[in-house]
Amino acid sequence: MGSFSIPVELIRIVVGVVAIAAFVALNAIILVYLERKVAGHIQRRPGPFEVGPHGILQTVADALKLVGKQLIKPAGADAFLFWLAPVLGFLPIFLFFLPMPFGPVLTTLEVPLGLLLILAFAGLNVLAICIAGWGSNNKWSLLGAARGVAQSVAYEIPLLLALLAVVFMKGSMNLSKIIDSQGAWPWQWNIVLQPLAFLIYFICAIAETNRAPFDLPEAESELTAGFHTEYSGMGFGLFFLAEYANMVVVCAVATTVFLGGWKGPFFSGSWWFLAKVYLLLMLMFWPRWTYPRVRFDQLLNFNWKWLMPLALANLLVTAFIMKVG
Amino acid sequence: MTAVLAKIVFGSYVLVIAAGALTAAISKSLVRALLGLILTLFGVAGLYLLMAAPLVALMQILIYVGAVSILIFFAIMLVRSGPQEDGARPRTVRQVVLSLLALLAPVVILGSAILQGRARGGPLPAEVPVGELGAGLLGPYVLSFELISLVLFVAMAGAVLIAFEKRGKR
Repeated sequence: MGSFSIPVELIRIVVGVVAIAAFVALNAIILVYLERKVAGHIQRRPGPFEVGPHGILQTVADALKLVGKQLIKPAGADAFLFWLAPVLGFLPIFLFFLPMPFGPVLTTLEVPLGLLLILAFAGLNVLAICIAGWGSNNKWSLLGAARGVAQSVAYEIPLLLALLAVVFMKGSMNLSKIIDSQGAWPWQWNIVLQPLAFLIYFICAIAETNRAPFDLPEAESELTAGFHTEYSGMGFGLFFLAEYANMVVVCAVATTVFLGGWKGPFFSGSWWFLAKVYLLLMLMFWPRWTYPRVRFDQLLNFNWKWLMPLALANLLVTAFIMKVG
Repeated sequence: MTAVLAKIVFGSYVLVIAAGALTAAISKSLVRALLGLILTLFGVAGLYLLMAAPLVALMQILIYVGAVSILIFFAIMLVRSGPQEDGARPRTVRQVVLSLLALLAPVVILGSAILQGRARGGPLPAEVPVGELGAGLLGPYVLSFELISLVLFVAMAGAVLIAFEKRGKR
């Protein structure tokens, strides 16, 4: 290595982070449009239709509007905390995508503990919700934050246990290695061996990303907008971006761990990865327009009385079979 | 080159830790103090990373930042009713003097240890694979490992007991 040569890893990370930023922003624009269209068709109406053909430019217009809006801080709010929250919610996104294997070589950084890296920094999202709710100096925000905390702390545990069952079997937390251990055909994927873990993971993922029917932290009909009631313009925009990016992250993790990642019949590659991620995202949209929001005690009871024991039992059975079989 | 870089990184982590700790101690707002604590925890995670222990570093973030500090936040929310009401009482001279005295104890003990021991930087420890780490925890160190889990279990059982007692009295 010369005295002033830049390490290859650094170049890889910089290029990767720029690509991630572009992917996250573009993806959010597409996903919001897609979600509104899906919602429309599920409810037998066309969805956005005015801006561009079939409303295809609607989210671009929305994004421009968000960028142009004035940023307002409520009187009596703690300015530092108030502005810290959206940034804190958005920053970990880059870390989540860093170890993600989009394709055979499309990984920004091979992290041996990739899965753990994602799970560790997922906690920052909850912290952002807390700070936002507290810093806003608003009862609705605070209530939303309190719900957010109870919900994510509870649902994080079965989520971890479900993923742990697969890690048990594969003996690795490297996302690329987990994909390598799966085959191209659907019956060679981990979902066949761990169907219950996948179900638990997916339910918990919906709860962790605060999506309906688990969207209690922002419940529009009760709390105005929950923890982001007071945010205008890009303050809200960052939360919004982070939510959609988080959805992609949880679906990407599900794809990697349970659905064989970028491997697929005939033409393995990143398109299979994206196709599976988008399929899962569609699955995530679906319950939002099908089920009403659950009540808070239902939410917690379901977790502690069903998901948690099931996840534990699943883990125990996995360990037992691993040891005996 | 790497040695200098490591020193710079170490220095910045120490700065982060110290800044976080000072914020936690001085800040008048409880939530800001908690943020200081979280900053310190992040700094410590960075130090673990520097010592080639990424599993411990990530666990530090997962458990302390992701769970413990969030629960502390929950406690703050339950106790205080709003951000405006969490101003602490002004400190008395006595408190300041006592806390400075308390500060002296670790400074004297650690300082004398450092002066006597002449700490020297060793070579960077090799990164231990997670599998080996697990085998170690359940092999030679199984007793201490289980004892720690026992402590956690007692704490949890105690918390449940306290919660149930309150419910009974109501």
